[in-house]
Amino acid sequence: MAMENVTGVIVAQKIVKSERIKREVWIGLIFLSPWLLGFILLKALPILAALIFSLTNFQMLDPAGTKFIGLDNYARFFGDLQAGASLFGSLGYFLLTVPLEMVVALVLAGIFTSARLKSKRMSRTLLFMTSIIPATSIFFIFLGTLQYAERILVDRMGLPPINGFGLLLPFMALWSIGPGFLIMLSAMESVPNELYEAARVDGAGPLARFIYITLPMISPAIFFTLVVNLTGAFGGSVLLDRGYILRFSLSPMEGYINQMMFTESELGYASALAWVTFAVMMTLTVLLFRSASRWVYFPEEDEVANI
Amino acid sequence: MKLRIFNRNLAGKHGVSTLTSKIWDFTGTAILNLFMFLFLLAYLSPLPFMVIASLTPSDQFLDANAPILPSTRVKFNYEGKDLIVYHVPTENGIKQWALYKPSRQFSDFIDPQNPQAGPIRWDGQWRGLKAVYKFQPTLDNFKEFLGITKLPLLFKNTLAIALISEVGVLLSSIAVAYGFSRFRLPGGKYLFFLLIATIMIPSNITLVPTYFLYSGHMLNWIGTWLPLIVPHFFGSAILIFLLRQNFKSIPRDLDEAAMLDGAGPLRILVSVILPQSIPVVTTVALLHFFYIWNETRYTSLYLGIAPNLQTISFGIQRSQSFFFTPEALMVGALVVMVIPVIVLFISQRFFMQDMIVTQIEK
Repeated sequence: MAMENVTGVIVAQKIVKSERIKREVWIGLIFLSPWLLGFILLKALPILAALIFSLTNFQMLDPAGTKFIGLDNYARFFGDLQAGASLFGSLGYFLLTVPLEMVVALVLAGIFTSARLKSKRMSRTLLFMTSIIPATSIFFIFLGTLQYAERILVDRMGLPPINGFGLLLPFMALWSIGPGFLIMLSAMESVPNELYEAARVDGAGPLARFIYITLPMISPAIFFTLVVNLTGAFGGSVLLDRGYILRFSLSPMEGYINQMMFTESELGYASALAWVTFAVMMTLTVLLFRSASRWVYFPEEDEVANI
Repeated sequence: MKLRIFNRNLAGKHGVSTLTSKIWDFTGTAILNLFMFLFLLAYLSPLPFMVIASLTPSDQFLDANAPILPSTRVKFNYEGKDLIVYHVPTENGIKQWALYKPSRQFSDFIDPQNPQAGPIRWDGQWRGLKAVYKFQPTLDNFKEFLGITKLPLLFKNTLAIALISEVGVLLSSIAVAYGFSRFRLPGGKYLFFLLIATIMIPSNITLVPTYFLYSGHMLNWIGTWLPLIVPHFFGSAILIFLLRQNFKSIPRDLDEAAMLDGAGPLRILVSVILPQSIPVVTTVALLHFFYIWNETRYTSLYLGIAPNLQTISFGIQRSQSFFFTPEALMVGALVVMVIPVIVLFISQRFFMQDMIVTQIEK
């Protein structure tokens, strides 16, 4: 009799527990529902629709004449020199600007961890400020500065004129360090002090401490910044969006797709190009994630899924 | 070797510092701060040029000999006419004379100090002379700019779109981030991977189908604010990610304590999680605000036909095609960036403080 009672209680507890888990799942899903709904309506379905468009000769000017043309758009991509150049251009843009951006951000963040630096809050806001300047402004700021630099350096001081326009990309990269800088700084500030103390006791100098403690400990933040920058180079979301200069994007591939979409009105081909970009980007991201296990430090097993 | 370093650190720690280490300390601090100061000076140097240019009269750039700072030509009124004053080299040194009658080989000048003397003949080509300038900033560029752009209207539109979509993006992103950080779901890990993947989807790929969705074929939202506002009510993947990382770093003990007191999930979110997440919520709100402020692509797509509904960045970009002087363009550039910069300075206490993208156990 008593025995049966105990099993009854255990069964009841089990039922209560599974009820609780079920309830947790339901509440969790309710909280996730805005994103799930948005994902299906505004991401998943449009991406599938774009895949279907990419198999047709859909043109904005002549929607009635749309025909299924199979993989012709993709075949056209492989023959399209300009598309290939734009794709490599985007990759080149990433390889050119991102290392510069990240190294400067990393060094500055390292300097900011020093207790000797004065008025940090003001400096970090000033460093960040340039990253929120809209694209509308930044182009004219660059041109204006170039004009003044020419007046001062060439007209007044007699230096030989240089073509300053090539400085646009490095300039944009330097003026975009804000988010990366603050993310790395936050990561550096959360590195446990005991590690540095221990290294100091072992005789490690500031540079050695930076290389052997700071860098490995903040590698997740570096990885995150890298992924976000890669995304930006191919037209995905970034932390801070400057907007466009009208319809021009700084990413060459995005620019070429926009040209196909708006100037040429070839929506089918533009969709195929967007899909190619998507595939290239996903491949690169997967490679980046694969490489992560070699150089990114994840504190817990469970946290591998975090980023 | 090891011992010596050890000792030096001990000395520093316990305040038993010698004079040399004090000097060393001081120079180190000075060099570091000087470096940062110089770096910031160089880093921000394009900004003063923009302010100078916006205050410069538009004809100044046509003269290669004009000064760098905003100035106007000195003029002298003679017989009811404004004459331009030049630096004229004479036997008695360089004189500032007003050009009265220009000719090829010689010209007639008036001496402003002594106008009664009448025109003075000077042999030489007047085109080689340098005009006299005086420092005088002008607000004409601003007046011209405000005359062409409907700034108050653009400002009102941007603010309305920003605020309405801000409510949507915050409510939904916070809820979703809470869902991801606190509830164990079957396949939750994969859902989260899906969220990360959404961040990386190039916006081009969804552009054509979503445009089709908003167009007259389906929803008929073109020419309204709806396509710029409604999508934000489904949350933003990158903001959800940032919020989720920070929610996860809040210890669960507090939730559990509140749960024992009978608090439901919503109550825990509002009274336990949010009060501890003020910096990250502020950051996310500001990131969205900057996005809306700078956004021009979707505005041009959906509001290109509705000039009275456009936002500030797009409106100014559009009006920039009416200006021909670089100075008025500079005014536009200055006007559009002022508000985000002010907002950033006001919120600097919270903005992107402790941005945790991955947890490091402290």
